[in-house]
Amino acid sequence: MFLTRSEYDRGVNTFSPEGRLFQVEYAIEAIKLGSTAVGIQTSEGVVLAVEKRVTSPLLVSSSIEKIMEIDTHLGCAMSGLTADSRTMIDHARVEAQNHHFTYNEKIKVESVTQAVCDLALRFGESAHGEESIMSRPFGVALLIAGVDEKGPQLYHADPSGTFMQYDAKAIGSGSEGAQTELQEEYDKSISLVNAETLSLKVLKQVMEEKLNNTNVQLASITPEHGFRIYSEEELQVVIDRL
Amino acid sequence: MDHHFPLNESPITYTQNPVVTGTSVIALKYRDGVMLAADNLASYGSLARFKDVERLYAVGDFTVIGASGDISDFQYTKHLLDAEMVKEYYINDGHVLGAPHIYEYLSRVMYHRRSQINPLWNSYVVGGYHNGEGFLGYVDLKGTTYKSSSIATGFGAYFAQPILRKIVEGHENTLSEEEAIDAVDKCMRVLFYRDARSLNKFQRAKITAQGVEITQPYSLDTEWSFGDSKIN
Amino acid sequence: MNPVDFYNETLTSVPTEHGFYPYESNGGTALAIAGEDFCVVASDTRQSNGYLINARYAPKAFKMSEKAVLANSVFAADGNALVRRLTQRIQWYKHSHEKEISITALAQLVSNTLYYKRFFPFYTQVLLGGIDESGAGVVYSFDPVGSYGLEVCRANGTASALIQPFLDNQVEFKNVQFDDKPRMTLDRAICIAKDAFTSATERDIYTGDHLEIFIIKQDGITIESYPLKKD
Repeated sequence: MFLTRSEYDRGVNTFSPEGRLFQVEYAIEAIKLGSTAVGIQTSEGVVLAVEKRVTSPLLVSSSIEKIMEIDTHLGCAMSGLTADSRTMIDHARVEAQNHHFTYNEKIKVESVTQAVCDLALRFGESAHGEESIMSRPFGVALLIAGVDEKGPQLYHADPSGTFMQYDAKAIGSGSEGAQTELQEEYDKSISLVNAETLSLKVLKQVMEEKLNNTNVQLASITPEHGFRIYSEEELQVVIDRL
Repeated sequence: MDHHFPLNESPITYTQNPVVTGTSVIALKYRDGVMLAADNLASYGSLARFKDVERLYAVGDFTVIGASGDISDFQYTKHLLDAEMVKEYYINDGHVLGAPHIYEYLSRVMYHRRSQINPLWNSYVVGGYHNGEGFLGYVDLKGTTYKSSSIATGFGAYFAQPILRKIVEGHENTLSEEEAIDAVDKCMRVLFYRDARSLNKFQRAKITAQGVEITQPYSLDTEWSFGDSKIN
Repeated sequence: MNPVDFYNETLTSVPTEHGFYPYESNGGTALAIAGEDFCVVASDTRQSNGYLINARYAPKAFKMSEKAVLANSVFAADGNALVRRLTQRIQWYKHSHEKEISITALAQLVSNTLYYKRFFPFYTQVLLGGIDESGAGVVYSFDPVGSYGLEVCRANGTASALIQPFLDNQVEFKNVQFDDKPRMTLDRAICIAKDAFTSATERDIYTGDHLEIFIIKQDGITIESYPLKKD
């Protein structure tokens, strides 16, 4: 990937002469090793789907959690060093609750995404002697989905602290293929049901294992039901539609 | 009681009363700007302790503050304001603190100190000329603030303010300098007659488009004899 | 408990001696009436201290957003400090969420801001009037430590005891003996506000000088000023 190794990938906050922060770029690379996660926004709600790598038949697949709730109207799918997402999701949850406490209203999807991204660059030594919390960048990317006064929305946040809004987005090892597929199949007028099917269809194409109701996780965020993770039975219904 | 503090140590105490004090400050707006007056007495209780204290103080080129209440707290405030003016001057970015800014700053200091239950025991009048018009504001030890076309502190609020309001209200833009001086003298005479902690030696300040002018201390002629004729 | 009594109680129970009382009453009155699609917030502009009139024009009602007006009474210094804090918080909110704060969110924020100083309260009674997300007129009233509620109308301040029964009768039609209950129009709300203040000015020495009426509608806020007796 990087042809010439240089000294500039040592200090986490040192720019290379070409103006790059290698550690941040490496962190973005780490996500490409993670399992694939997909998010699709529709006018009825947002769908999140992730692949779970069940590496051993003795592994209890339900213990792999890659989709989590931030608030009743907010959910999040992840790829990469999922352990790092704890810090981010904790922060997002606190931020969402704090907003509700202070203003008696639900926090916007963009605001909670911004709050998470504010954390992303707080690594390395800091200049003014205040404690920095992390020694390295996050190794995880998030798909943050939710419903607010602007309707259903999907955001992608990466280790550089950049976030962007997407109609449909794939992250992780299969993201390149998945994104191409999403681009071809996505339509602004897609229904939530069709988005459920599309998300699994895309995952199926990039997964090494055969997709079943235990090696994927599916969730939706809708104005009616908020954040909801699908049960194995509900998942089977969607799989049967493939 | 749950609170423990070492024996032989008395509780923390802050200023609970003023010590050496100045009496009323009066001020009014007139056609050319703002006029203030305050006498030169600093009392120690009922003792007329210092008779040459200046209670009108110029801050910058277009602001005067008048102080009543504790004189040492006033001296501290002068120090604070001077430091603030110097700080603003050496930043050298073209910003100059005018009367509204000094008033705002002083208000924040006063409210902050009252909120720490450690007040600066004063009532201040800030008079100035800013952006083509007169400025007149009040702030005291509780952080209470107001702006008005005439202001009087202490006994002045009872004796001078009614006189000033009658002269000033509705005539802020027409009142001449001579009329303003007459109003000040009238009020200062009444105050000297009635306020036992006052002195017939006072200064007057005016702040106009031309800047600040503070007079040398002067006295008014008084008439005490009519009392005798009544009694006899 | 009255915050002042509360303050005195903490004074006697902590090992610090003071001869300084950090509160005072500056008088003044404010009222708010909510209509179907509008809200009226009115307050006088006199600031007093005992028998002294500090200033004839010291406003205590402030526009907080395009759809909310806040009026406070009792201790003016605390009232102003509260308004400054809130103004800053509202600006931060605008920056971080790219939208104007709604009156429901503002009401919760006011409550939290007051409760934050529960043990050294802002000695102020707050009224918040405006238009909510659905376009309906709303009035919130707060006690000095942040308890709050949604109301149709409310009077605060030194003449509140004079004005509240009048509002109850004329706005909410409490204790009316007749069936003629006119709809609350903007004109009627303004008339009620003016009458309430002219009458209160007659009986309450702390109310007078000028009346400021804020009219909050979907398309913005307008301010009307009227003279009150200056005695």
